[in-house]
Amino acid sequence: MVRVTFVDVHGVEQAVAGEGDLSLMELAKANGIDGIAADCGGACSCATCLVHVDPAWVDRTGAPDDIEYAMLDMVSDVAGDTSRLACQIRLTPTLDGLRVVVAQQ
Amino acid sequence: MTQGTLAPEARSLLDTASMTDPIISARPRAYYAAMRRHDPVHWDEKLGMYLVSRYEDIATIQQDPITYSVNKGYHSQQAKGFQQEFQQILEREGGGYFPDAIMSDPPYHTRIRKLMEKAFSAHRVKALEPRITKVVTDLIDSVADRGEADAVQDFAVPLTVRIICEQLGLDWNMKDRIARWSIAVTAQIGRMQDREQMLGHAREICDLQHYLIAKMREREADPREDMISDLVHARDAEGQALSFAEAVSLIRALLIAGNETTATALGNLFYILATRPEIATLLQASVDDDRLMNRFVEELLRIEPPVRGLSRMTTREVELGGRTLPAGAHLLLMYASANDQEDVFADPRRFDLDRPNIGRHLSFGGGVHRCIGLALARMEIKVAAREIVRRIGDIQLAIPPEEIRYLPTVATQSIERLPIRFTRRG
Repeated sequence: MVRVTFVDVHGVEQAVAGEGDLSLMELAKANGIDGIAADCGGACSCATCLVHVDPAWVDRTGAPDDIEYAMLDMVSDVAGDTSRLACQIRLTPTLDGLRVVVAQQ
Repeated sequence: MTQGTLAPEARSLLDTASMTDPIISARPRAYYAAMRRHDPVHWDEKLGMYLVSRYEDIATIQQDPITYSVNKGYHSQQAKGFQQEFQQILEREGGGYFPDAIMSDPPYHTRIRKLMEKAFSAHRVKALEPRITKVVTDLIDSVADRGEADAVQDFAVPLTVRIICEQLGLDWNMKDRIARWSIAVTAQIGRMQDREQMLGHAREICDLQHYLIAKMREREADPREDMISDLVHARDAEGQALSFAEAVSLIRALLIAGNETTATALGNLFYILATRPEIATLLQASVDDDRLMNRFVEELLRIEPPVRGLSRMTTREVELGGRTLPAGAHLLLMYASANDQEDVFADPRRFDLDRPNIGRHLSFGGGVHRCIGLALARMEIKVAAREIVRRIGDIQLAIPPEEIRYLPTVATQSIERLPIRFTRRG
């Protein structure tokens, strides 16, 4: 069980948890987190699952690869230094307690 | 509904213009601007549709696929005016009339979409890049010494047909038929074909379906590494296969949807290189700058969107853009207009690679129906741009820009022929 706190687009904190081989985006969709649209279904192609990772967790979520970076760069009006696409973060046990803020789009 | 003071030209456009008018359809920006400013959900009498021109209204529609039905919008648009006859021809002579399974509404759509998504992830597309680069460079090299070519017929169309053939595992010697099939299928949502043209197109679609059905049978018996094999053997989360009708419609969609639209984007690429030499020069100096190349592709798609208008139909009475629409209202989402909206994209006619929101154009649509092949399309355009500016230079139009003709359709803005001159580089 991996527990995650989302701060949704309305600023409301939502504590949720998931199990198994899930991405952060899939966990958000399963729990109806507002602001995570994920139009492309997790293909790293649309930047509609953008989150800002709490700085305390950045080391554990890691950095985007080139393909993800290219998508983040196209929405640099809202993306920041700790932004990631939720579809590209796998929920491993080391992320238990993760906190992310859903980007305003 | 009308807002603000109307300039006489805007009044005249709103009163008399139609997307079905070939002159408006070829040069529609003033019409879009008049709608955005004065009548954002505008009734186009001749088309019999509401034209939705503002970014925020299109975004609203994309977030509510139940109220705004793609299934009803698309299938009402298909062969409009000759629908029954069109479907009968396909049933009688084309192996069946197969509604487009992907042009559907949730929750049915969700199952179909999930089955298709795996094939199109950005990471899988990245793996295809070397092969596609080879196709692109071979094709450019074959015309580079001629000094002149038709950028659409000699390059854009054969390139996209070749790539889609590789993806689907089809024979390359089919290229002329595939190009004709693409025109025939897309004309069904174009709203500018007369009955005689519909009959010709319907025959092409019959030919297409017989070809695809035979290929599907082959791949059922003998699977290979291609998308037809993937689809005929696909199973959803519950282990269910696609029905025969679904599979035919999806393979037909894969063959057509990614073909004509990407060819249109490549025609637009040449148009930009030929008419904005400063951009061509910048690209020549930046072929190894992946970030700049990615941004170039997005801005090209924003400023010259291949797909400019796709349809929806309301399933209930709903308020949109200050207008109350009844249930059953047929809408055309004018992506090209939204991409030109000044309060979203400052100085929208400027080709600006530094836009912070460069990826927010609506050229791939949005919401659950967002283009599934977008990563592949972006990569094809990027590779083409990079290899073109490496191999040829001094690209110029060989005809005056006002003589450029477009395919007769409201759905896309596709250059028909683009004669260019150029020199070989290096």
